Amino acid sequence: MELLKLLSTNEIVAQILGFLILLALLRIFAWKSILGLLDKRKERIALEFKKIEEAKADIEKLRLEYAAKIVSIDETAQLKIHEALNQAKVILEDSRKNGYIQAQAIIDNAKQSVKYELAKAKDELKNEIIDLTLKATEDLIQEKFTGEGDRKLVEDFLKGVDKL
Amino acid sequence: MPQTHQAQYELPNIVTLLADKIGRVTHLGEQIYLWENVIFSLIIVMVISLVAFLACRKPKMIPDRLQNAVEAVAGGLDDFICGILGPRGRSYTPFIGTLFIYILFMNLCGIIPFMKSPTASWSTTLGLAICVFIYVQYTALREFGLLGYLDHMMGRPRGILAFSVFIPLMMFILHIVSELVRPISLSLRLRSNIWGDDLLLSVLAGLGLAGVPLFVFSALLAILAALVQALVFSLLTTIYFALVLTHEEEDKEMGKLIKEEKWITK
Repeated sequence: MELLKLLSTNEIVAQILGFLILLALLRIFAWKSILGLLDKRKERIALEFKKIEEAKADIEKLRLEYAAKIVSIDETAQLKIHEALNQAKVILEDSRKNGYIQAQAIIDNAKQSVKYELAKAKDELKNEIIDLTLKATEDLIQEKFTGEGDRKLVEDFLKGVDKL
Repeated sequence: MPQTHQAQYELPNIVTLLADKIGRVTHLGEQIYLWENVIFSLIIVMVISLVAFLACRKPKMIPDRLQNAVEAVAGGLDDFICGILGPRGRSYTPFIGTLFIYILFMNLCGIIPFMKSPTASWSTTLGLAICVFIYVQYTALREFGLLGYLDHMMGRPRGILAFSVFIPLMMFILHIVSELVRPISLSLRLRSNIWGDDLLLSVLAGLGLAGVPLFVFSALLAILAALVQALVFSLLTTIYFALVLTHEEEDKEMGKLIKEEKWITK
């Protein structure tokens, strides 16, 4: 009962009214806007995080794509190298064949030349021998051989030499 | 207003000084003195409203200092209340948040020289507790409906024989008493703590060593007590709401846990 003396109905009512006024004021002007703003900010942050996650996923996708591309590039490069090696082998074979043909042609030419030179040398040698023989014979018999008959004689002699 | 027997322990404040100046024997002086707590409450209402108005008149996505501070308080209170009441707590944040801020400001008011804590008066705290009581009962009735509310008051579990009539009836009476006692205990706890704080401050104000009153040291304690008492009042209010709100989310969560067989570890 002593405690109840501390109470005043008027004051209680006034305090309730004061609180209700404050509650109404804050509810209208403060809480609504602040909580709305906090929610909006949370949503914005969540959205930003979502965007970041999406960007991360895109980057990961691109990374995988590039990795796959790198693998395919390696495969292509290996294929190209293989093709180039095959091509090089073909070219080498062709070059070898051409070289062989050319070498054969050169050898044939050289043989022809040798033949020709040999024949030429034989003729020259023949003429030299004739001249030398005539000269030697002239010196021996002290007589000059002139005329077609002498030459024929020497040639016959040389034919005999050839047969030997 | 029968508070005069306390007044001898109180420090002088602007209202009592004004009443003394006018003369307590005059009608105006007497009225000012009698409405002392209400005047301080209204001053605090104006201060809080002004701060809220200044902080929220042009809310920006990137806040300035004042808006940032107000947002930090509001966000903290919202998290605190929603942490207890769940997602539905958002609709009770303005009520409980306003209550916390109002009580905190009223409690801290007593530390400022020539001011007084209105919460040192039981009428003030009982007024607030009555607001809480009415809102909690209204919420309970809205949640359960009249019959559901009566059923809720009878408690659980119920069975056959004595459990079907006698125990629920006793529980009902017990619940009614407990509901009626809540505003009294809530208001007396706050009033007595703050009144004790103010009394201590007024006693220690006159003591001290060479110009350094003990008031300075006990003021720090009083700040802590003011914060704790505001928190206790708000926390109890939140719990009262939690007791009358149906817990669909918790039921769902528990159902999910049982399904996943994780409820034992929880």
